[in-house]
Amino acid sequence: MSLPQAHQSTLAWRQANRAKAVPGRTIVMTVRRCEGPGKLGWFESFKIPVEPNENVISCLQKIAANPVTADGKETTPVVWDSGCLEEVCGACTMVINGTVRQSCSCLIDEYAPEEGDEITLEPMSKFPVIRDLWVDRARLFNSLKRVRGWVPIDSTAALGPGPKEDQATQSTRYAISECMSCGCCLEACPQFLLEGDEDAWDSAFIGAHAIAQARLFNLHGTGKNLAPERLDELMGPGGVADCGNAQNCVKVCPKGVPLTESIGAMGRGVTMHAVTRFFKGK
Amino acid sequence: MGLAGAKTVSDRQSFFERHSFLLRRLHSLSGIVPIGVFLIAHLTTNSSLAWGRFALRGEGEGMSIAQGGVKYFQEEVSYINEQVPHLLLIEVTLWVSIAFHAILGVYYATTGKGNTAHYPHMDNWRYSLQRISGYLGIAFIFYHVATLRWGWTWLVPGGTQWSHHFSASTLAAAIQGSPEGWTALGVAVALLYFAGITLLVFHFANGLWTAAITWGLTVSVPAQKRWGLVCFGLGAGLMLAAWSSLGAAFMVDPQEARATEAEMILHEHGPEELQRIENKLEGRPPADEHANAGGEG
Ligand code: SF4
Ligand code: SF4
Ligand code: FES
Repeated sequence: MSLPQAHQSTLAWRQANRAKAVPGRTIVMTVRRCEGPGKLGWFESFKIPVEPNENVISCLQKIAANPVTADGKETTPVVWDSGCLEEVCGACTMVINGTVRQSCSCLIDEYAPEEGDEITLEPMSKFPVIRDLWVDRARLFNSLKRVRGWVPIDSTAALGPGPKEDQATQSTRYAISECMSCGCCLEACPQFLLEGDEDAWDSAFIGAHAIAQARLFNLHGTGKNLAPERLDELMGPGGVADCGNAQNCVKVCPKGVPLTESIGAMGRGVTMHAVTRFFKGK
Repeated sequence: MGLAGAKTVSDRQSFFERHSFLLRRLHSLSGIVPIGVFLIAHLTTNSSLAWGRFALRGEGEGMSIAQGGVKYFQEEVSYINEQVPHLLLIEVTLWVSIAFHAILGVYYATTGKGNTAHYPHMDNWRYSLQRISGYLGIAFIFYHVATLRWGWTWLVPGGTQWSHHFSASTLAAAIQGSPEGWTALGVAVALLYFAGITLLVFHFANGLWTAAITWGLTVSVPAQKRWGLVCFGLGAGLMLAAWSSLGAAFMVDPQEARATEAEMILHEHGPEELQRIENKLEGRPPADEHANAGGEG
């Protein structure tokens, strides 16, 4: 690799690479393989001839079509997850050159501009691997259940028009609503660690995305009916106080969700909630 | 709400989990009050060893900067040891708070796993440094208190004891390695102090910054930045106070300081009292002993 891994994702570095990308080159894609949950992983490299503007997924498709490693060994096709291919579903999230991001929007020209340059793909480390680059993000969705990340409108009767929303709240909420549950913020968080035991999910750190979603729905005219429950959950073990303010989450979020502001806002929320509860007696 | 969804978190957890919110907030609070407040008082008091001469004004006429510092520092220490009420209560509160903050802090630190190798952002470094400075800070505070307050002289290179009657000279002897001045081990102790106080001041300033997010005082990014500047300023000020205290303790001549302090006791309490205190410090049999064994850490 031409640079220490950690620096490879900086914007300036990527732009410079894109400008100098050599047409008709062959790159090396090194993939962390894993045959199934709990199995040990190993690395395999593939030589891939690339065209301009190719992305990681299209290279993975080439590997699937011809699963032969760089040293000529036949192997199984690499498994990965993807959906939208335009960075809105979050399914293709993986660790590329040591840093988490979506693979569909990851351009080869930006990461491996010269002949023989290498790109390393690894599955996210904070979720159980299903196979190769495909992970099980169930805990991420469990966190959304923990904070009741929805608007409670269960009813058989017509509820009439929804509540009005002012412009300021709307713009705060819009930014948070862009979250695509990709898991980048969790992968980069030093407080969010792999937890294979499902029973522990409800008391392990809930993660920045869910804290932000709690704020999104607490700010909603009808959603705020569940605000006390959300705040109770965020006060509990693994709640907002488990955040260590490393602020990695906000730096890796591909959607620019105001995660650290939401953490501050929900910190305020639970402080107020605790004081109110203390004097009200629940 | 009759909605399917998450279970309410309650009765299936450890003590830490059941009271997680209260414990987290007490941990945060204890770092500010009383520990942080004490740190500010402690460092400003100590730094008087460096700037005391200027605070003495007319009283310090004809004194060198070092001598004036020793005199002013001794006055402060005497004030704390002889006039501050409920000193023992204050001390016990501090011990309990520091132990609480340290034990919980170590427990909390084990719930995370630093990743600066992959995400080398400044904030992420702060995160890791906060934990490292916590661990090392505990070790340093223990050494500091054990040697200078509890009298574990076998941990002091020169084997000397700290005395609040001879505050500057005995401090200098402990940090320089001997009552005669610098020794190699003394330099090592001074370096240990330098690392310890620097890490702890960082820990406090950074903790103050993150506490504002935890409690929900600073929500927006500009607010976090502004509060960051305030914490940086406070940290820089305390850092100066800490370094100047240490610098002064390392530069002061222990023997000259001892003379200044002896003169102060002589002037205030007379020769018998001076004799008694000196006997006690040197471990000589006391002439008549109505010991006053107070001290300040
Ligand atoms: S700010 Fe909190 S949630 Fe975000 S990465 Fe840091 S510890 Fe994790
Ligand atoms: S907050 Fe951002 S990084 Fe986290 S899951 Fe949502 S989109 Fe992904
Ligand atoms: S496939 Fe949907 S974000 Fe990449």
